[in-house]
Amino acid sequence: MDIISQLQEQVNTIAALAFNTFGTLQRDAPPVRLSPNYPEPPANPTEDAANFAEQPKLMSAALVKAAKQFDALVAALPSSEGGEEAQLRRIAELQAENDAVGQELQRQLEAAEKELKQVQELFSQAADNCLNLKKPD
Amino acid sequence: MATATYPPPPPFYRLYKDYLQNPKSAPEPPPPVEGTYVCFGGNYTTDDVLPSLEEQGVRQLYPKGPNIDFKKELSALNRELQLHILELADVLVERPSQYARRVEDISLIFKNLHHLLNSLRPHQARATVIHILELQIQRRKQAVEDIKRRREEAQKLLKEALGTLDGP
Repeated sequence: MDIISQLQEQVNTIAALAFNTFGTLQRDAPPVRLSPNYPEPPANPTEDAANFAEQPKLMSAALVKAAKQFDALVAALPSSEGGEEAQLRRIAELQAENDAVGQELQRQLEAAEKELKQVQELFSQAADNCLNLKKPD
Repeated sequence: MATATYPPPPPFYRLYKDYLQNPKSAPEPPPPVEGTYVCFGGNYTTDDVLPSLEEQGVRQLYPKGPNIDFKKELSALNRELQLHILELADVLVERPSQYARRVEDISLIFKNLHHLLNSLRPHQARATVIHILELQIQRRKQAVEDIKRRREEAQKLLKEALGTLDGP
């Protein structure tokens, strides 16, 4: 995939990681005591305590890794020499050179085809001569 | 304009009855469309340009100007994004009801990122054209060299053959 598409994919990946992180943490967070008036909420240690403490760490590590990869991809961008006008000028001079080389190629091709026809003509005459099919004039 | 479910093909084929005998008796193909046109009930334009962020009502976070340093702006936006994500996490812990503003900021950063990347595409297209032209020039030069070489070889062979024939 080209670099810009990879960058776009990486941006979307970072977005997905971000909302997955917040969504999962919000959904699975254990209840917390808000005010001293209300009693301590019943702590049900179903899968929470052990796995849950690592999830923020794992998910934030994934987020940071994705961001670092984005930076690496940005660094891999080819540096844009000049701007739009410089590119257009280069295209114009490349087109001119292409036309010149194309005409040279055309000339060489025509000369080569002419020589080929001459050789074919001579060869057919010599062959006919050899085989006595035509009267030599 | 045909609006039937299965419209018949356009009746222009009758005009090309004598095309084989006289290619000029049939009408020319229509010229390319310019400006806006209607296709299957939808309006399309031939001028494909990326609308700037202001036209879409989105604030532009990176500086405008003739030449934008894409790498620097992209990394700056990435840093901003990470900071905002962290801010959102803090807000959710301390004052959960104020998440809306932070989420808006994050989506603004994403829109800017995507717009920057999209504005790189024309540049990439021109670079591709340059690359293809260079390749083509190289191939053509190679072909010219090949033809010259073959012609010289052929001349050499003919001279040798002439020598052999004239020999004894």
